[in-house]
Amino acid sequence: MEVDREDGRSQNQLRPLACSRNILHRAHGSASWSQGDTKVLAAVYGPKAGTKKNENPEKACIEVIWKPKTGQIGKLEKEYEMILKRTLQSICILTVNPNTTTSVIIQVVNDDGALLPSAINAACMALVDAGIPMRHLAVSICCCVPRSGLVILDPTKLEEQNMKAFAYLVFPNSVHSVLPEGSLSVQGEPIENGVITSVTHGVMSVDDYFFCLERGRAASTKLSDFLRRNLQHQSTDSSKAG
Amino acid sequence: MVTYREDGSSEVQLGQTRVMGIVTAQLVQPYRDRPKEGMLSIFTEFSPMADPSFEPGRPGELAVELGRIIDRGLRESRAVDTESLCILAGKFVWAVRIDIHILDNGGNLVDAANIAALAALLTFRRPECSLGGEDGQEVIVHPPEIREPLPLMVHHLPIAITFGFFSNESILLIDPTHNEEAVMNGRMTTTVNANGDICAIQKGGGEGVPQRVIMQCLQLATSKAASITKQIKDAVEAFNTERALRKIKRHPTSTGVDVREKQNQYTCNIPVSLEHFKSKTEVVITRTRKHYPLNMAA
Repeated sequence: MEVDREDGRSQNQLRPLACSRNILHRAHGSASWSQGDTKVLAAVYGPKAGTKKNENPEKACIEVIWKPKTGQIGKLEKEYEMILKRTLQSICILTVNPNTTTSVIIQVVNDDGALLPSAINAACMALVDAGIPMRHLAVSICCCVPRSGLVILDPTKLEEQNMKAFAYLVFPNSVHSVLPEGSLSVQGEPIENGVITSVTHGVMSVDDYFFCLERGRAASTKLSDFLRRNLQHQSTDSSKAG
Repeated sequence: MVTYREDGSSEVQLGQTRVMGIVTAQLVQPYRDRPKEGMLSIFTEFSPMADPSFEPGRPGELAVELGRIIDRGLRESRAVDTESLCILAGKFVWAVRIDIHILDNGGNLVDAANIAALAALLTFRRPECSLGGEDGQEVIVHPPEIREPLPLMVHHLPIAITFGFFSNESILLIDPTHNEEAVMNGRMTTTVNANGDICAIQKGGGEGVPQRVIMQCLQLATSKAASITKQIKDAVEAFNTERALRKIKRHPTSTGVDVREKQNQYTCNIPVSLEHFKSKTEVVITRTRKHYPLNMAA
């Protein structure tokens, strides 16, 4: 059953992706990520000495600052900061630089749906640009369940507002051809099947949720390919040392 | 370089400094002593993204000073016509809010932020509204799809030009970078427009400079302002034509990434980047590094 979307995409099509790294001069790492009209700018500074008050000094600490496009910082921004912090904590290797703080600053340039997934993707690319040690990358996607019909990927703002429920999912990026024994697996399952973060809004049935997960997983492979191509392409261009 | 993304948002690149300006508007009740005027407010955000020494939270004194300089340039010189923002005297006026986000601190944030604010104001469109209701006291805001939104009335463009003074070598610098800012002895920001009017001068502390030098700065500023005004106007022109063209053809011309159900078959349409959707106006504001000999010995 084909769902008619306003911009002519099918239900499984993502919007055009664009990503560029190293766009800011002062920040140690920076990246800009856009999915369609949603655009997010991420900057990374770190590691800096010392950790915040309530943080464990035996590990590195990640601090996230979310800057909305306009208006005051409220609870929604604080919630995004917390989700982003927990997600990034699980992909970074925190034991490498203990007692340090890495700051990730997210600036929303334009919000046209799927804002948090774009921010997570941008933050991940910025961390790569800054050279922060990570276990693997994370790719993030938004799946939503409309009132009638099948699950839709990567909604625009208008579509998001008309949905019954939607879920932001973050999957680990697969490690290819670097390890001699193939991709990593955890307890027999390939690592891509795991879910790092899942944030849902609205009411959806359990079946719908598993369907979303499956779709999200398929989409994350596409996103991983895009990330890999982007990183390889840019790393062959820039030959600056360090 | 001034880039536009959509109505009311601009991004300025001045050397290594990068600033983003966003303009939004809201219908509010006017101040009691000015029932026929709209409101203009400027919020500056020194994002910790721009410089490791910027702290999040309350704006520090640099941010407040920057906001005040831009505010003075726009409000007191009556660059933006606030009376045209009035819809219903005493009840409804437009409150225009300018948010300035500093993304990268390469020095001379004041000038870049000023250009960003002006550029965003010039491309901002507010929805058209009309009076309706039973006694003509209700305001109906028309969505942009029904009626074309209107631009703001901007009479002139006040451009801020910052100078740095080095008394040891008797040098006067225009548009200092952040390394130069760290070692200079004094600074002065003059806001002038292309007509030669001085809108504001700000010299806060630092080394004292003779009057002759101030006059020299003003003359330099006036000539620079003319060229920068032209560049801003060209960029706005280009954006407006781009917007008009976009309204004509609305079909999406870029393909997205296809994700299929079957695990072993992946058709992949290479995602096309967004280049042709956005107007990239190549207006380069070159960082001039002119050294003018300062005769400090009176």
